Amino acid sequence: MDWSQVPELTWESNKLGVLPALFGLIISVPLGIVCVRWRWLYPPVLSTTSVLYAIPSLALFIVLIPYTGLTDTTVIIPLTLFSLCVLVPNVVDGLRSVPDPVRDAATAMGFGTLRRLVQVELPIAVPVVIAGLRVAVVSSISLASVGQLIGVSSLGYLIVDGYQRAFLTEILVGGGLIIALALVCDLLLVLVRRLLTPWRPRRTRRQLPEVVAEPVPALAGGAR
Amino acid sequence: MITFEGVTKRYPGGTLAVDDLNLEVPAGQTMVLVGPSGCGKTTTLRMINRLIDPTSGRILLDGRDIQQSDPPALRRGIGYVIQQAGLFPHRTIEDNIGTVPMLIGWGKAKSRARARELMKLVGLDESLGRRYPHQLSGGQQQRVGVARALAADPPVLLMDEPFSAVDPIVRATLQDELLRLQAELHKTVVLVTHDVEEAIKVGDQVAIFRPGGRLAQVDSPERLLTAPADSYVESFLGFDRGIRRLSFLAASGLSLDDTAVVSASTPAWEAAEHAARTGEPWLLVTDAGRKPRGWAASVELRALPREATVGDARLSPYGHTFGVSTDSLRAALDATLLSPAGRAVGVDDQGRVVGVTSYERLGAAAEAAEPAAEPSPSGRS
Repeated sequence: MDWSQVPELTWESNKLGVLPALFGLIISVPLGIVCVRWRWLYPPVLSTTSVLYAIPSLALFIVLIPYTGLTDTTVIIPLTLFSLCVLVPNVVDGLRSVPDPVRDAATAMGFGTLRRLVQVELPIAVPVVIAGLRVAVVSSISLASVGQLIGVSSLGYLIVDGYQRAFLTEILVGGGLIIALALVCDLLLVLVRRLLTPWRPRRTRRQLPEVVAEPVPALAGGAR
Repeated sequence: MITFEGVTKRYPGGTLAVDDLNLEVPAGQTMVLVGPSGCGKTTTLRMINRLIDPTSGRILLDGRDIQQSDPPALRRGIGYVIQQAGLFPHRTIEDNIGTVPMLIGWGKAKSRARARELMKLVGLDESLGRRYPHQLSGGQQQRVGVARALAADPPVLLMDEPFSAVDPIVRATLQDELLRLQAELHKTVVLVTHDVEEAIKVGDQVAIFRPGGRLAQVDSPERLLTAPADSYVESFLGFDRGIRRLSFLAASGLSLDDTAVVSASTPAWEAAEHAARTGEPWLLVTDAGRKPRGWAASVELRALPREATVGDARLSPYGHTFGVSTDSLRAALDATLLSPAGRAVGVDDQGRVVGVTSYERLGAAAEAAEPAAEPSPSGRS
């Protein structure tokens, strides 16, 4: 196998994993805000994102090829749509995690709706939103390898190429690098969250989301 | 001054929360709204800063109809304290307190300086300023809540069950702090509570609500205890209102007996004779500076050798004293009940014995004070 390709393929995988999650976030935040403001909107929005997620990625790629060709865009659009399935509920849950007394106090102190959203509600929603973002990034990175089937290269190339040549090492390297990349991105997001939320209590009893979405510390501990 | 004129609030669905309320909250005073849950007291409070708008009627703030004002602007001029403090978890204590100053454009430096000033006022150490709310105890958080409400120096302060989420000891401290702050700041305070003890302790005026959002009685705490308007108010106030009313009567109205007070240097036989003459079973022994040392039983004095002084006698502890010029009759009664001798020691500001109580004297003082209706601020502690 050709090792010189690896850095470029890793960069591609990274791009195809991170960009959809970012675009997904840009769509989910306003969508989530709207769903919290007008509660009746949330069930249909949620159903729509679930239906989108149920579409096989390959099918969506093929539908898009006539419009966007064999480019990154053809992969990024479906992955963005998939990420909504995780991100919209997390934005909604994050905004709903703002304690009522806090919202009440903000209103009573003279915050207008917009200022309250930007200065109080969104900052408090950050931990839950980032938890969703981690899932979105990790799943996009692994799903991006499917793009290889339509010729959009990423680390998935090593898997497809290895399979065609019956070369097990190449398949393992491809798979291993995808997992490693996903974990590195995940770790970076944990660091971002720590930086953005210095106010969060460490080690409290209310650690459920932490436990569900943080395999990284165990890994880091093992690697030391 | 806050005035409610025929204010009614009917929620969608028909629940009548507040029914034709007419109430005046005088400027610089504390008005406590108290009643069982669902009586409309919180709705009443939240109508003042327009978190809820009335269905009909008018609310005037210093003569201006609040319905004419822009809600955010109105609210920045009204401090608001709620049960769990409602602090912003993502902001430091300093920035929490500086919230309203920032909103009205004081800038960061001035707001923070103001926050530090307020932390001192509410008794918080300056070192807590950089911490986040979750790092503080419930009582400290509540102090921050009060500081935040006072930050822009609003003339009006609304408090919605401010002390009900903390334990009884912290609650009592916070109530005392509120009284201290109020004596200094003279805000127009409206405080909601379901705790009638709290209402009586902190209120200049207490408005008792009955279920269905109607007022049962508005009066000073002492008047409420002396003359409840009807059986509802009476039962709401509780069974021992006679004793609680004594909190409003100053101990200075009590005539104290000093015949049972003897100096430690008095010869024991002389004191024993004195006790026999006056029929006192106990004598209070004081030191040379007239500070109390303890109770000597008269029978034991008689048994002492002839050259002994009172100071040689076995003394029983004198228990709690009460300040004649600072405490209430209730404190005097309490001290008397707890004293082994059945009488308590009244002391002056320097802790010197003025005299001792007896149940007869306490009874006479309570009776003499009966017609007086003027609340005594010193009797609140």
